[in-house]
Amino acid sequence: MATDSSYRLGLDFEIPLASKTMRVKLDTESRAIAIVGPSGAGKSTILRVLAGVERRARGLVTFCGQRWQGDDGPIVPPWLRRVGWVPQEVLLFPHLTVRDNLGYAGPSAAAVEETARLLQITELLERRPRRLSGGERQRVALGRALLAEPKLLLLDEPFSALDRPLRAELARVVGEWCAERGVPLVLVSHDEADAEVLAEQRWHLSDGKLVRE
Amino acid sequence: MTGWVLACGLVLLLRADAAAGEPVRIGFEPTVSSAKAAPDSSLLVLAASSLAEVLPRLADAWRRGGGAEVRFSFDATSRLAVQALQSPSADAFFAADREWMDWLEQRAVVREGIAVAMAANELVVVVPADASPLATPAELTRFPRIALAGENVPAGRYARAALEATGVWAEVADRVVRGGSVRGALEWVARGEVPVGIVYRTDAAAEPGVRVAFAFEATNHPRVLYWSAPLSASRAPESTDSFLRFVVSEQGRDIVAASGFALVEPSAVQALPSVAVVQAPAVASAIRLSLMVALLATIAGLVPAVGLGWLLARREFRGKALLSTLVMAPLVMPPVVTGFLLLSVLGGGTPLGSRLASLGLPVPFTILGAAIAAFVVGLPLYVITIRGAFEAVDPMYEELSWTLGAPPRRTFFRVSLPLALPGIAAGAMLAFARALGEFGATVVLAGNVEGSTRTIALAVYTLLESPSGRSTIWVLVGASVGISLLALLGFEALSRRQKLHLEDRHGH
Repeated sequence: MATDSSYRLGLDFEIPLASKTMRVKLDTESRAIAIVGPSGAGKSTILRVLAGVERRARGLVTFCGQRWQGDDGPIVPPWLRRVGWVPQEVLLFPHLTVRDNLGYAGPSAAAVEETARLLQITELLERRPRRLSGGERQRVALGRALLAEPKLLLLDEPFSALDRPLRAELARVVGEWCAERGVPLVLVSHDEADAEVLAEQRWHLSDGKLVRE
Repeated sequence: MTGWVLACGLVLLLRADAAAGEPVRIGFEPTVSSAKAAPDSSLLVLAASSLAEVLPRLADAWRRGGGAEVRFSFDATSRLAVQALQSPSADAFFAADREWMDWLEQRAVVREGIAVAMAANELVVVVPADASPLATPAELTRFPRIALAGENVPAGRYARAALEATGVWAEVADRVVRGGSVRGALEWVARGEVPVGIVYRTDAAAEPGVRVAFAFEATNHPRVLYWSAPLSASRAPESTDSFLRFVVSEQGRDIVAASGFALVEPSAVQALPSVAVVQAPAVASAIRLSLMVALLATIAGLVPAVGLGWLLARREFRGKALLSTLVMAPLVMPPVVTGFLLLSVLGGGTPLGSRLASLGLPVPFTILGAAIAAFVVGLPLYVITIRGAFEAVDPMYEELSWTLGAPPRRTFFRVSLPLALPGIAAGAMLAFARALGEFGATVVLAGNVEGSTRTIALAVYTLLESPSGRSTIWVLVGASVGISLLALLGFEALSRRQKLHLEDRHGH
């Protein structure tokens, strides 16, 4: 994976969780990091702070020198951050077809077709979300995030509902997609294999602390 | 008329009795008859609302002389008569006209021939205390509106008869607004909502906000007489009888006179011309009006209800609890109170009301007023349903939409609104149903004006006080129940649809 020295992600914030306050400190130039750790440790919350939808965080988030978050909450609102966020709980807009879900951020029709082919969901394009399986839903959500032309990709257990062979293949597809475009990635997973394929740096979150492994 | 003759006989007999008996107190021996009644049983008396001041005084005096306790239910004679027929649990009845007493006699609610004329009243024209004077019925034609009591309420009928006899009815008929009772009409004049009204002299005297302009000549309308009678179903007939005799005793007559009523001389009460025939409100117009008012209220409420519902579901801000409370208030307040508050803000005499009127949009007594009343009373259900619909939408849909580049406003129209749409329609259905059933606020703010504010609810209410018109009531009741149930079925179906709508996976 090519490293461009201009990329830098810095996190230094606190956020109250149900049990305790989580203190997140991270500074990396790696374009592909994985955050691992036990469930309930707050991994998904970190992605929410990065996406800009978490109002309780206090402290810094800097993306390539741009301050996204300050001591008083988000500075750059989520609609200006251009992150491709795929939350763990996969939500597709139920009133839109797969095609319209993929096209939500306004990509060209050709780009939608292209991404659908890449993720092997071309035959699902006209369906409604409620007629999809769990694995299909994950791929649509992933495709929707990729089609938003993100500057940063935030994936939260993105392949958990896929079976093994497909899972490995998609991990490879996403890895290549990021590498080709130079899009940095933050992956949350407790699957060693995913982290192995996609991440070059691993951070471990437990007891409210983020530690580089 | 035999009833009357007998009654007069009774009065004369009582007085003759007294004259022949004890010299000290004339005509009445309360201790004797009340001693026979169960000592702890109080009386329930149904009485015309214009007697609300004098009867408690009479009861008080009677009790001090050894009588039982008397409880009163004051309302328009017409409504009381219908109540007396349907739930005969009261002991005595005081009517403001002879016709309703006849009606009760025909239905054996009152035994024939025992009603007594216990007081007389005068019909007067009142204007707000600070208005310029007027002296003749002909001058009534220069007013845009005239307040009368309801058309089946005695005061309303007497007033119409007086206007007919003085030759101005034809000209003013379409400017008449009807309060339910005399008090209602009086209130409007006192508040300046209506520039002139026709009420009883005793009511006018009790209201400092009005001035009596002139009284109608007694020959212009049937004499206003109050009739008292025991009800056949009374469980304390002797005590009741004792009270009624006290009312026409010397002591009672003093109290009646001191309250501003005229006393009844037997010679004055003979030929009683029948007053105007009861008119049934038009069924089609009531149904059409109801639908129109409810539809107007629902359409006008859509944007505010969606805005408020979204705000309350999705935003935290200072004063949120206060806003929510204000919006919900009409749900728990008596609609009559809501109507009164609306009248205080939008009435013709208020800055806002007169501004609207100058724009050609007067609120009181117009369909606009009825729609506003329905809108305010329906809004809580509208907002609560829509708030629930927005709350049912997982906020993460909106968050996702933001990260996909859609700012809040675009997110609202592309995600929140479409996802809450069936719930919004359900809210509209519920608000429509509520608007359809609105009565209390409407009657206070918009009155009961045939063709412009008399909706189904008000038409049924009007018919309830009419001796005839039972079959009409059933048509209106059927229409009301039918439309309301349809609207509620629509609400149910849409609510279910909302749940399905949000399912983005099978069996989830």
